[in-house]
Amino acid sequence: MPGLAPVPHHEAGPSVGRSGAASAPAVLLRAVSKSFGPRQAAVPAVDDVTLSVETGKFVTVIGPSGCGKTTLLRIVAGLLDPDRGDVSVFGSPVGRAVEAKGIGFVPQSPALLPWRTVLENVQLPLQVNEKAHLADGRVRRDPVEVLESFGLGNVLGRRPAQLSGGMQQRVAIARAFVFDPPVLLMDEPFAAVDELTREVLRHELLSVWQGSRKTVLFVTHSIPEAIALSDAVVIMSPHPGRIEKVVPVDLPRPRGDLVETTVEFHELERQVRMEIRRSWKPEGPEG
Amino acid sequence: MNEHAGRGWPTWARPGVWVPPLVAFAVLAGAWQLYAVHNPTVIPKIQQVVSQLVDRPYFFFRNALTTIQEAVVGAAFGMGMAFLLAVLMSFVRIVERAVLPLAVILNVTPVIAVAPALVVAFGFGMTPKYVITAVVVFFPFLINALIGLRSIDPLSLDVLTTLHASRTEVLWRLRLPSSLPFLFAAARICMPLSVIGAVVAEFVAAGRTNGLGTLIVTAASLGDLKTIYAAVAVLAVTGIVFFLVVVILQAKLLTWHSSAATAANA
Ligand SMILES: Nc1ncnc2c1ncn2[C@@H]1O[C@H](COP(=O)(O)OP(=O)(O)OP(=O)(O)O)[C@@H](O)[C@H]1O
Ligand SMILES: [Mg+2]
Repeated sequence: MPGLAPVPHHEAGPSVGRSGAASAPAVLLRAVSKSFGPRQAAVPAVDDVTLSVETGKFVTVIGPSGCGKTTLLRIVAGLLDPDRGDVSVFGSPVGRAVEAKGIGFVPQSPALLPWRTVLENVQLPLQVNEKAHLADGRVRRDPVEVLESFGLGNVLGRRPAQLSGGMQQRVAIARAFVFDPPVLLMDEPFAAVDELTREVLRHELLSVWQGSRKTVLFVTHSIPEAIALSDAVVIMSPHPGRIEKVVPVDLPRPRGDLVETTVEFHELERQVRMEIRRSWKPEGPEG
Repeated sequence: MNEHAGRGWPTWARPGVWVPPLVAFAVLAGAWQLYAVHNPTVIPKIQQVVSQLVDRPYFFFRNALTTIQEAVVGAAFGMGMAFLLAVLMSFVRIVERAVLPLAVILNVTPVIAVAPALVVAFGFGMTPKYVITAVVVFFPFLINALIGLRSIDPLSLDVLTTLHASRTEVLWRLRLPSSLPFLFAAARICMPLSVIGAVVAEFVAAGRTNGLGTLIVTAASLGDLKTIYAAVAVLAVTGIVFFLVVVILQAKLLTWHSSAATAANA
């Protein structure tokens, strides 16, 4: 194993948020590695990743295509088992959190069920595995209300094929919010929409999140998006996928439409860009 | 397709849609008639076939009804069994490994070769006809159902898995709906196929029951070409009707699929 790991993992590693209390972090990855392919020719996708996300924090993972962001998120969601290392959610193994419907997952494409209407798609998480809901007495949010908060109140009866890409993304996000999971995992939810829609969606997400303060792990390619949304930006580098650096974002909340124009924002943007340039250099001249 | 040709017409009513096949049909009918006039022992003239149907409509209708019953009951049975087996296979991997090779063998076996044995076993009633028809539609439906049940969007499966959906829930909420377009495609093949199955069954076991296949065998033994071709015409219409029924059902029940398809093409 190359000994360049920027993060010592004798303890919790790069930690986001500073609660300092004894309570377990919402998401904790310890020395997690995952390779694909046959044993001899295994290609590491995620290598020795250690990361801790405190409850209520919005953390963004940024990195070039193929650096293992989706793999990392799928491991946290319990969809993939790591080869080495361990993952816990609120101090318990991931499986427990999944059984209790504690994790909301927004995949890289909306993945809506085409035979269900918008409303029915958002009702899905409430219908599936109903016992988990009764068990811990969580709030079942009203699907119509959630859809309205994402500006979809007037398309409840439409099928996904009748919506624009941006609207489909909103439905996918509403579907993750509706069953009120304490942890949300979002894999480039805005990747397929244009820049203008992206900014609108970003602010919508921020305002809905502001009201609930879930713990969020959010994957993106966009530096401004990462800074505008999060409490910390995790920079990943490819081949193999590692965490290079965690940049804390101390912009005040709630953040309005104009955060992007502040001096502090630009300073952070410059800082993240520099870090990325430094860590991705071996890949080529592009920064 | 070309949006501007035949503006204002529904798709099926555009001249560009129905004129070419009509011309082809007329040419074929003309050639048939020409040949029939010079070779009356090879094929009958068109008006002879038509007069058969006009003179004895109830006779052909009664025989058609028997064949349709054999086809529909046999197809329902065969498709139903194939579907249940496909669900079981997609649920329990071992069953798939065990049964799929057998199904492939069944598929390459000419059923007609087994048909006389079925007649020996089940007699000359309806049962052997149901069995043969069911066997004919079984394999194509099984394969399509299997593919359909597997054709799920992996990211949708991810979403359901993170919700800790049980295997039954994944089956009901994801696999079955995803397989519907495939099931309809299979039914479009299997329903006309079931007519062939029923006719072949009647050929082999032309016994007590009537039916268009039995009618053809009897007419052939009398050298009655007019009746044979009249029966064939009724069979062709039956096959087309079966096909159209499936298409119409699909259009009614699977609106989400067609709308998704048009959105993808847009
Ligand atoms: N199921 C799999 N089988 C084999 N290889 C895989 C699998 N999933 C991911 N990989 C490989 O692991 C690496 C990381 O993939 P991953 O999808 O996590 O990247 P990513 O950072 O999400 O990329 P993108 O930004 O393009 O979505 C890639 O090289 C990919 O080819
Ligand atoms: Mg990805």
